[in-house]
Amino acid sequence: MIGIVNLCKRFGEQTVLDHVNLEIRPGEIFFILGGSGSGKSVLLKHMLGLLRPDSGRVLINDQDITAMPEEQLLRVRAGAGYLFQDGALYDFMNVFDNVAFPLREHTRLPGAQIRERVREVLVSLDLKGVENKMPAELSGGMKKRVGLGRAIILGAKILFCDEPTSGLVPIRSRDISDLIRQVARRLNCTTVVTSHDMRNAFRIADRLALLQDGRIAALGTRPEWEHSANPAVQAFLQ
Amino acid sequence: MGKLPDRIIAIFAEIGQAVYFLGEVLACVTRGRIRWTQVLRQIYEQGAQSLVIVALTALASGMVLALQGYVALARFGAKEYVSSLVALSLTRELGPVFTALIFSGKAGGRIAAELGTMSVNDQILGTRAMGVDPVEFLIVPRLLACCAVVPLLTVIAELVGISGGYLIGVTQAHIPAGFYISQTIKSVTYVDFFSGLIKVVFFGLIIGWTCCYQGYRTSGGSLGVGRYTTQAVAYSYIFVILANAGLTKLILSVWG
Ligand SMILES: Nc1ncnc2c1ncn2[C@@H]1O[C@H](COP(=O)(O)OP(=O)(O)OP(=O)(O)O)[C@@H](O)[C@H]1O
Ligand SMILES: [Mg+2]
Repeated sequence: MIGIVNLCKRFGEQTVLDHVNLEIRPGEIFFILGGSGSGKSVLLKHMLGLLRPDSGRVLINDQDITAMPEEQLLRVRAGAGYLFQDGALYDFMNVFDNVAFPLREHTRLPGAQIRERVREVLVSLDLKGVENKMPAELSGGMKKRVGLGRAIILGAKILFCDEPTSGLVPIRSRDISDLIRQVARRLNCTTVVTSHDMRNAFRIADRLALLQDGRIAALGTRPEWEHSANPAVQAFLQ
Repeated sequence: MGKLPDRIIAIFAEIGQAVYFLGEVLACVTRGRIRWTQVLRQIYEQGAQSLVIVALTALASGMVLALQGYVALARFGAKEYVSSLVALSLTRELGPVFTALIFSGKAGGRIAAELGTMSVNDQILGTRAMGVDPVEFLIVPRLLACCAVVPLLTVIAELVGISGGYLIGVTQAHIPAGFYISQTIKSVTYVDFFSGLIKVVFFGLIIGWTCCYQGYRTSGGSLGVGRYTTQAVAYSYIFVILANAGLTKLILSVWG
């Protein structure tokens, strides 16, 4: 479970998060929607302690991660996966080494088992035969899938995805969305996704929140969203 | 460009952050969090990249020193001392400074550009997100490699430069080869050699620190990478030159 309590964050004069409160339930696929620059990425980064809030708290399984020193946070993060917008793959490593990286860092598996695990994950993400390619040789969609593979290779209990569908053609957007749902169900992990892609959000989300002006302007399941009279939701659905 | 007080505060904030950054690196090192394979890889990359240009510069400097020194010394009838002139200039001053400046431009620029690109592509944030300390994984190996490679290159540069001087001394100034060599060995004392080497370890640290820091804090896309990389190289130059002045004064007042 992830709890966000009165989270505030400013950059200089600009207030990005203004007393955000959220509760994300175990095992659900939770979407944070909002326009460009509304602070979705900033909120997501706070959930894994990649940014420190000005005030407020973030709780992961009732542990307050905002109070943790970075060293302890690193251990918390090893149990979570984070898919960055462009994959954030190491460009000096090939695909195999990128996906194997968390295993090599956090487990003592022998090389043969690491190869086995990486193959498995790559196959499950429809990425056969790219092990030896460098990230620069991959398409945008492939980078995201490799990034997803790296995020889940340790069997993440929490999965964060930042704009998994941005920059992709509609069909690829749908594929990656479906993959995220598959992965989330298979690992039974709590999944938080930021997006401004309504269609795919509705496709896979259990619940959705709308971030606007630094606050949660709407929150609910898909049917609740569709029948919402909330003007913010109506405006966003347009 | 803000008002003057703001600018001064910003400069101090900057220095504070750079010092804090170095503190983080040193904390990793003192706790033994050193990835030796990465260090070796960096030593190889940085060293291999700068070796040829450092050697060429050293060779040319040694030859030019010998040519000029021979002309100048011949006026006092002391052309035999050209070997001492070449050897002492190279070990005490030129070898360390030239090597450090070239290294700043080549390896330092590369370090800043690499880290800067990683920074703007979220690779550094991604490292933290995977539960790995980016300072330990990316910075410490590069910085330690700088501290090892710059002295190494300097020693090579000095040897190559002295050989260049020897070529000129023997072929142009017609100094007997045996005499040139023995004169070289006689004139360079431990103090000369190690005073240069001490400086160079500091230069390596300064270059590594500056370029790693500038790369690590890069933001603003490809424009940012360009900006912080040039900044890294320019600052390395300035700091090497300033440090050289300071350290030379210090070493001379201790060792004479
Ligand atoms: N490190 C930072 N320093 C200063 N301002 C920042 C920083 N990170 C984000 N911001 C600002 O915070 C605001 C929200 O940024 P954020 O990246 O969270 O938006 P977003 O909702 O993810 O947008 P997009 O859909 O375009 O990804 C933006 O106006 C941005 O300029
Ligand atoms: Mg974003």
